[in-house]
Amino acid sequence: MTSAIPARTTTASPAEAGPSLEAGNGNGNRTKAGRAPKQYSDRTRAERRLGWILAGPAFVIMLLVTLYPILQAIYESLFRFRLTAPDERAFIGLENYIVILSDPVWWSGLWTTVLITVVTVLVELVLGFALALVMHKALKSVRGLLRTAILVPYGIITVVSAFAWFYAFDINSGYVNSWFAWLPGIDENLNWFAQGPTALFVIMASEIWKTTPFISLLLLAGLAQVPDELSEAAKVDGATWWEQMRKVIIPNMKAAIMVAVLFRALDAFRIFDNVFIMTNGAYGTEVLSLLAYRQSISRLEIGLGSAVSVLLFLCVLLICFVAIKLFKVDLAGSQGGK
Amino acid sequence: MPISRRTRTAVKTRPRGTVLAGLVLGTLVMSGCGPAQADNSLTWYINPDAGGQAAIAQKCSDESGGRYRIETSLLPNDAASQREQLARRLAAGDASLDIMSLDPPFVPELAEPGFLAPVPEDVAEATTENVVEGAIAGATWKDELVTVPFWANTQILWYRKSVAEAAGLDMSGPVTWEQIMEAARAQDKTLGVQGAQAESMTVWVNALIESAGGSIIVDPEATADTVELGLDTEAGIAAAEVISTIGKDGLGGPGLPTQAENESLIGFQGDVGSFMVNWPFVYPATVAAVEAGTLDQAVLDDIGWGIYPRMSADQEAAPPLGGINLGVGAQSDNPELAYEAIQCIVSVENQSEYFVTNGNPPANTEAYEDPRIEESFPMAATIRDSLQVAAPRPQTPFYNEVSTGIQQRWAPPAAVDPDSTPQSSSDFITSVLRGEQLL
Amino acid sequence: MTNTSTRNKVLWAIATVLVLVYALFPVASILATSFKSPSDLTNGKFLPSSGTATTSNYEQILVGDAQGLFLSALRNSIGISLIATFIAVVLATLCAYAIARLDFPGKKLILTTALAVSIFPVISIVTPLFNLWRTIGLYDTWLGLIIPYLSLTLPISIWTLAAFFRQIPWELEQAAQVDGATTWQAFRKAIVPLALPGVFTTAIIAFFIAWNDFVYGISLTSTEAARPVPAALAFFTGASQFESPTGAISAAAIIVTIPVVLLVLLFQRQIVSGLTSGAVKG
Repeated sequence: MTSAIPARTTTASPAEAGPSLEAGNGNGNRTKAGRAPKQYSDRTRAERRLGWILAGPAFVIMLLVTLYPILQAIYESLFRFRLTAPDERAFIGLENYIVILSDPVWWSGLWTTVLITVVTVLVELVLGFALALVMHKALKSVRGLLRTAILVPYGIITVVSAFAWFYAFDINSGYVNSWFAWLPGIDENLNWFAQGPTALFVIMASEIWKTTPFISLLLLAGLAQVPDELSEAAKVDGATWWEQMRKVIIPNMKAAIMVAVLFRALDAFRIFDNVFIMTNGAYGTEVLSLLAYRQSISRLEIGLGSAVSVLLFLCVLLICFVAIKLFKVDLAGSQGGK
Repeated sequence: MPISRRTRTAVKTRPRGTVLAGLVLGTLVMSGCGPAQADNSLTWYINPDAGGQAAIAQKCSDESGGRYRIETSLLPNDAASQREQLARRLAAGDASLDIMSLDPPFVPELAEPGFLAPVPEDVAEATTENVVEGAIAGATWKDELVTVPFWANTQILWYRKSVAEAAGLDMSGPVTWEQIMEAARAQDKTLGVQGAQAESMTVWVNALIESAGGSIIVDPEATADTVELGLDTEAGIAAAEVISTIGKDGLGGPGLPTQAENESLIGFQGDVGSFMVNWPFVYPATVAAVEAGTLDQAVLDDIGWGIYPRMSADQEAAPPLGGINLGVGAQSDNPELAYEAIQCIVSVENQSEYFVTNGNPPANTEAYEDPRIEESFPMAATIRDSLQVAAPRPQTPFYNEVSTGIQQRWAPPAAVDPDSTPQSSSDFITSVLRGEQLL
Repeated sequence: MTNTSTRNKVLWAIATVLVLVYALFPVASILATSFKSPSDLTNGKFLPSSGTATTSNYEQILVGDAQGLFLSALRNSIGISLIATFIAVVLATLCAYAIARLDFPGKKLILTTALAVSIFPVISIVTPLFNLWRTIGLYDTWLGLIIPYLSLTLPISIWTLAAFFRQIPWELEQAAQVDGATTWQAFRKAIVPLALPGVFTTAIIAFFIAWNDFVYGISLTSTEAARPVPAALAFFTGASQFESPTGAISAAAIIVTIPVVLLVLLFQRQIVSGLTSGAVKG
C-alpha cells in the first residue's frame, strides 16, 4: 500500500494544503490551472485513485448520514403531515414556510438564539483569552494542573453541566440565593427560572462554563504563534502591557480569534441541551432548536417541523457565509468542529 | 526522547486494542440481532414506578401457567415523553407494542388513527365493573372503550390543621377557592398550587373550569379545523380570576412560576404551608421525610385532607383525574393473549396490592376494601370519593396542542388577566390547530 | 527583585486558585448534591445538612431500583462511544492522510463537506433518521447510534488530523529509505511515531463528542438495548412519578464524569497539543 505513495516531496504550500471554504467559487480550479500543463501520468492517476480510496469511506459516510436527512427534510417540509394522521398527508408547497415566517414565535425564538449566541461568544472570547494568557505564561510547576482543570468542563457532558447549574440556582434546591443575598436584586425569594432575563443568565452561564475551554485552547494555539521577538521589541520601545496586547499580540492572533469565534458561534446557535433541561423553553427562553424539536418530535407535525429545521440550517449557513465573506475568516489550515 | 517512549506504549497496546475492537464488534452484531422472541412473550411498556408493574407482570406470568410471559420495558418519566415514544413507534407499525401503560389524555390521539387494538366485549365488560366513572371516561373514545382502566389518580385538598383552625374554617365539609385564598392571605401563608409551565398547569386549569361547570373543549370529537374551545366562557373567566389572583397577590409564593407537584409539596411542608391541591403521593413522601429525620413529626400530625375546593359554595367540585390505562397495539402479534394478560393485571387483588406498595390508587372501587389500604393511606376514602366526581382532561386527538397552548398562555399565573387570557389563549390554540401558527 | 518575585508568586497562586475554582466548582456542586438525602435537597446550602449525608443515591443507581436502567445505559454509552470513536479515527486517519499527502481532485469538496456536516443542526437530522432507522431496523440498536455519532466525530477528526499530518516532515520517510529501509519499514519507523500522538488526541476528542450526545440518544433509542447515559437521566424517577429524581441524577452525573476526569488527568498534554496543533497555522 505504501508503495503507491508518491515520491513527490514538495511540501504542500499553504494555498494547496489549506483548503479554504471558498472552494465553491472557482478556487478549486485555480490550483489545477495554475500548475504546469496537465500530464496524466500513471503516477498521477494512481495517486488520484489512492486518494479517493483512502478518503472515500469517510466522505461517503458523512454524506449518507447528513445528505439523506437534509433532502428528506426539504421534501417533507412541503407537506402537511402529522404522524398520527397519516391519511391526511397533503402537498402544500411553501405554506409551512409562510406560516413559520409570519409567526412571532419564530422571530422571538430567533432573537433569543441570536442573543445567546452573541453574549456567550463575546464573554467566552474575553474569558477564554484570559485563560489562554494564564496557561501561556503559567509557571512550569502549575501548568499541568491548570490545563487539567480547564479541560474538565470541556469533557463534561452538557446535560450534566445543565443539571449542575440548574440545581445550584433553583429556588428550592439551590444555594445561590442564600450565598449572594448581599447583592442588590438577589434574595431568597428570587426565582431565577421564572422570567426570561434571569433564566437566560443561568443558561448562558452553563453554556459559557462548558465551552470556554474550547475557545481558550484555540486562542492558546494562536498565542503560541506570536513571535516572541515582536513583543520583546515592543517592550524595549517602552510599550505598556496594554499597548503590547493591542498593537502586537491581538493583531497577530486575528486569524485564531476569527476561527474560534466562527466555530463557537455556529455551535452556540444550535443550543439545545441547556435550555431543554433547565426551562424547556418557558418564559422567553425558547430557542430555534427547541422550536424544531417541539414541532417535529413533540407534536409529530413532520412537515412543519422539517420546515423549521430547514430554516434553522439556512440561518447557520448564513452565519457561515457572512463570516467568510464579510470578516474574511480564512479557514485555511484550521481545524473544524467542536 | 518522548517520541520513542510513545511509540513503545503504542506498540504495546496495539494487540489489546485489536482484541477490544473484536469484542465490541462482536457485541454489536449480537445486539443488532436482538433477543429471540418466544411466541408467547408479551412486551409491556410501563411508566416508571417503584417496581409494582414489574412485580405484577411476574405474578401474572407465573399464574398463567406458561400461557404467556410478560416482559416489561421502561418509558421515560414524564407523560409527554412517554406519549412521544409510543406514538412514534405505533405510527411506524411496531409489532412489539403488546401492552402499553397510557396516560388517559393521550388515549384519543392513539385511538383515532386506529393504533389501538379494539377491546373485546367480554373484556370490556369484566374490566369496567365497579370502576369509577372518571376512569371509564378517560378510557373511552367516541363512545367505545378503547383501553382498560388500571389505576386512577386524583388530586385532593391537603391542609395544615393549624391554619384551617386559625381561619375558622369547618373542614368537615367542602370549602371554596375563595375561602382558602382568604385564609392564606390573612395569615400570610402560601397556597400549594402548580403554576409552572408544565402539564400540571393544564391539570389545574381544567379542574377549575370543570368545577365552574364548563369544559376546555366543547365538542371533543370535532376535527382540528372545527374544534370549539370553552376557554372564553364564564367558567373560563372564573378560572382565570382564581389563577390570576393567586399569582398577582403572591399567594403562591415566589416559587409559583416554576412550581409543579413536588415543589408545591416542599412549600406545603415548610413554615408558610397552608392549603395545597395535590396527588396522594404527598402522604408517603411526607412520612418518608419524617422517617429520614428531615421533617418534624409535628408537621405530619398537622396535615389534614378533604375534597378538592369548589369554585362556588353550591356547586360540587370536579377534581383532576389522572392514572394509567392499559392499551394494546393494533400491530401486536398476540392481541387476544395481551387482553388476557391485561385482565390478570387489573384484577382487584393486584390493584389493591399496587396501591399499598406503590401508592397508586385503584380504579376499581372494590379494591379499596383491602384492610391494608386504610393503614398505609388513611385518606383512601377521600380519594375514592374524589374519583367518583373527578373530571378527565379534554379527550381529544389534539390534546398535546391544547395542553401546550394552555401552558404557554396561562403560566406564569401572575401574567394571567381574566379579561384577556381566556380569549387570547382560545384564539391561539384554535389557530395552532388550523396550522396557522407554531406552538 | 525579591519583592517582585514574591509578588509574582502570590499573583500566580491567586490566578491558579481562580482557574481551579472556575473549572471545578460546578462539579463540586453536583458532587455535594449527590450526597443529599431526598428530603434534604431543599436545605438551601451547598453541603448536605450535617449528619444526613448519604450514599443512598449511588446505591439506587448502582445496586438498587435504577440499577438496570443506569448500568445498561453506562454499558451502552461506553460501548457505543468507543466503537464510534474507533471507526471515526480509522476512517479519518485514512482520509486525512490522503488530504495531507496526496494530490487528487475533490480534496476541497471533502473538507467543505466535513465542515458543512459539522455545522448541520442535529435536530434537523433526527426525524428523517428516525423514520429511516425504523424502516431498516436500526432503531434502538448500537449501530443506529454509531452511524449518527460518526457524523459528529468524523468532521472534526478529519480536520484535526489533516492539520496534524501536514506538519509531519515526510522527508524523513525518504531519508530512511535512503538509509536502506524498505518502504514499509520507513513508514513504520519514521512516520508512525510522529503521527500516533495526533491520532491518539483525535480519538480522545472524538470520544468526548460521542460521550456528550443527548439528542440522538433520546430520539433514536427506546429500551435498555441502546439507550446511552445522557438520555437515561430523563428516565430516573423519585419515590413516585411526581417527585424529582435530583439525587439519582446527581449521582449518575458524577459517575459519568469520572471517565472524563481520568482521561483529562492522564492525557491533558496530548489533548492540548491536539486541539491546538496546526490550528490557524500557515
